[in-house]
Amino acid sequence: MSNKLLEKHLSLYSSQLKTRKLWNILVVFLLTISFLISSTIIDFNFSNIVNGVPRLGDYISQILPSLDINLIFENSETEGSIKYWYFNFKKYAFLLYETFNMAVVSTTIGFVLALILSFFSARNITPNIYGYYFVKRFLEFLRGVPEIIYAILFVWALGIGPLAGIMAISIHTTGALGKLFAEVNENVDLKSCEAIRSHGGNWLSEMRYGIIPKVLPNVISYTLLRFEINIRASTVIGFVGAGGIGQELYLVINFNYYEEVSAIILLIIITVIAIDISSSRVRQKIVGEIND
Amino acid sequence: MAHLEINSLVKKFAKTKAINGISLKIFDGEMVGIIGKSGAGKSTLMRLINRLIEPTSGSITYNDIEITALKGKNLREWRSECAMIFQQFNLIDRLDVLTNVLSGTLGINFKILKLFKFYNKREKIEALTYLNNFELSDKALQRVDTLSGGQQQRVAIARAMMQNPKILLADEPISSLDPKNSKVVMDDIKRINNQNGITVICNLHSLNIAKQYCDRLIGLSEGKIVFDGNPSSLTNELAEQLYDLENE
Amino acid sequence: MTDKDIISLCPRAFQPIWKRSPIVFTGFIFFVSYFLFCLYLFDFSVSKIVIGFSNMKPVLTAMVTWKDFFNWNFSSIFSGLAQTLGMAFLGTFLATLVCIPISLIASKQFFKISIIRFLIKRLLDIIRGVDILIWAIIYVRAFGLGPFAGLLSVFTADLGTLGKLFSEAIDNADTKQIEGMKATGASKIAVIRFGLFPQIFPIFISQSLYFFESNTRSAVILGVVGAGGIGLQLTERMKAQYWDQSLFIILLILIMVTIIDTISRIIRMKIINE
Repeated sequence: MSNKLLEKHLSLYSSQLKTRKLWNILVVFLLTISFLISSTIIDFNFSNIVNGVPRLGDYISQILPSLDINLIFENSETEGSIKYWYFNFKKYAFLLYETFNMAVVSTTIGFVLALILSFFSARNITPNIYGYYFVKRFLEFLRGVPEIIYAILFVWALGIGPLAGIMAISIHTTGALGKLFAEVNENVDLKSCEAIRSHGGNWLSEMRYGIIPKVLPNVISYTLLRFEINIRASTVIGFVGAGGIGQELYLVINFNYYEEVSAIILLIIITVIAIDISSSRVRQKIVGEIND
Repeated sequence: MAHLEINSLVKKFAKTKAINGISLKIFDGEMVGIIGKSGAGKSTLMRLINRLIEPTSGSITYNDIEITALKGKNLREWRSECAMIFQQFNLIDRLDVLTNVLSGTLGINFKILKLFKFYNKREKIEALTYLNNFELSDKALQRVDTLSGGQQQRVAIARAMMQNPKILLADEPISSLDPKNSKVVMDDIKRINNQNGITVICNLHSLNIAKQYCDRLIGLSEGKIVFDGNPSSLTNELAEQLYDLENE
Repeated sequence: MTDKDIISLCPRAFQPIWKRSPIVFTGFIFFVSYFLFCLYLFDFSVSKIVIGFSNMKPVLTAMVTWKDFFNWNFSSIFSGLAQTLGMAFLGTFLATLVCIPISLIASKQFFKISIIRFLIKRLLDIIRGVDILIWAIIYVRAFGLGPFAGLLSVFTADLGTLGKLFSEAIDNADTKQIEGMKATGASKIAVIRFGLFPQIFPIFISQSLYFFESNTRSAVILGVVGAGGIGLQLTERMKAQYWDQSLFIILLILIMVTIIDTISRIIRMKIINE
């Protein structure tokens, strides 16, 4: 390379480096400003942390059970045994079962509605362009409002209990899954649809045979993921009275039944982890089988 | 005699005229090969016939029925009279061979139950008969994408036959196949034309095959017809002009 | 060939569906029955839903009739929004900082003591098993009402999720670049800095931005249990049945979330294209 060419490359390189450096400084600057602004807004400062940590420690030690290693397997009258810690186990088990069913029902309802609506909110296959805009905005709205807000409204309308929770989670799920399904539909290859149309098939046939077989693995995968999320949602929706184990948890926290708090939280953790693991196994199996 | 008539057909995509004024008549029972290089307008012409694409101007009539004016149910009926097979087969990959063949009946005989994959016995027997003729009946319940290219195209032909079509539109049916399978598929198409009297309009990019199987050749270049007649009267100069290169 | 001959070619195709694909059939029947059973357990009836919706009618009408617009307490609403954004930003930011070293420790490539890796991963799993709202209640108990508790909830929840995502990204990183660095005899830190970071840094930033989006949504609901932010403003108004202000706040939330979504998407596209 001649000297001139080398000089040109070097100067280009150093100017690029300069721009890169300027960008980095800008980003760091923005981050610092945001950090400072946020900290002021929230009152996030050292003294708050220092004061709060021991209180947190206190609270945690209060809710942890006082299990005595010698008495662990004794009966439910003996303080220090597991049975004493979980004396309300039957109630928790029933509520967990209810929570699980809430998630099943709402995920199913959300899945069916989202699937139907996703055919209208996918630009490439919607039968009516005005319908497309309307359904798309509608689904965005459903998804944007947090479930718990719906739950408050539905508790107001339907009364306290799991029905309100199911409605709330179903509606939010419809929005969330609808958006994902529409994206999958928009990315699908339309050859089979063309074939069905060339046979004289109507729009329904095109959707059923042209689109559904292609999107099924993704759709099921997203639904199972959503089920995992909905289990979590079902556990806490009871905080506003919409049923499930959340209602009980809210109660014991507010009444300071300390050891029951840890008992319930532990059960929730176990349930969520169990569902996560089984759901990912089922997902792998289904995607694998469908791709065979 | 029944015929398909195309009059001054024009199709514009943005600024380009893919089809630039085509007029021709195709009579029932003919086996017509459409030749020309890529981009000459062959696929577009084919899709205009069954109206998968809408023309910009001009008309298509079949037996005095204005095809270009059909709507809704009538349009779907016309499409079911024109069966189409594609270069990439356009089958439903995840479903089995039998269901793929049966899906050809969605136009001529639509029932809600069919959306749930419930077809009646008569149709299943008909489908299996076609599969048996193609020696594919043992693969009826296999996933269709486990079959070879040649086999898949024959499944597509069986699917087309389920429509009892009057016209078979074949859009580059052998472009994805090796020579041996190409011969098998073209033989099948020729047999359908001879035995069932179905009009065949076939896009082919191989001039040799076109000369071998078709009674009539139509050469397209830049959206216009430059040749229409017997394969034997296609001179070498004209062939070169069509393809811009040596005869294959 | 007669019909019978044809049928004998593939008899299974002519069998009723419970013989053709028994697994799918029984699975479907089981699922539908379980679903209906659940509806029965929950005392679900269409009349209840209809009555419920007619109960909602006055609420819905009240939501769209905006009275007294200029007297609404806008300062509390906008400070609520600012608090929510602050919680989401700070929580995500701090969690990202903390998760970078944690994920390095939790990844197979850089830490050989597998017991510690296992424990860290389980700890992160446990943190993720607890919904953010539960953390919020606990922190409110410990630190009192207000956005500080909310910030900690976002931080804790993110620890679990970002920790897992970051360590997965590290585990899936291309080992060739790392081996290349190791082969030059570079120190461990240099290997990480030059062999690993260029690959995973865009992923980290991308994930953080995605979670900032998602955390803005979560931060909104934390207010329901008293952890500050716009959620608190919303629930207070809903309890007081100021439905018109409630709808206004919901719309503001939607707008805010959409803006953050778009900004986040644009930045993420830029990073991917770099």
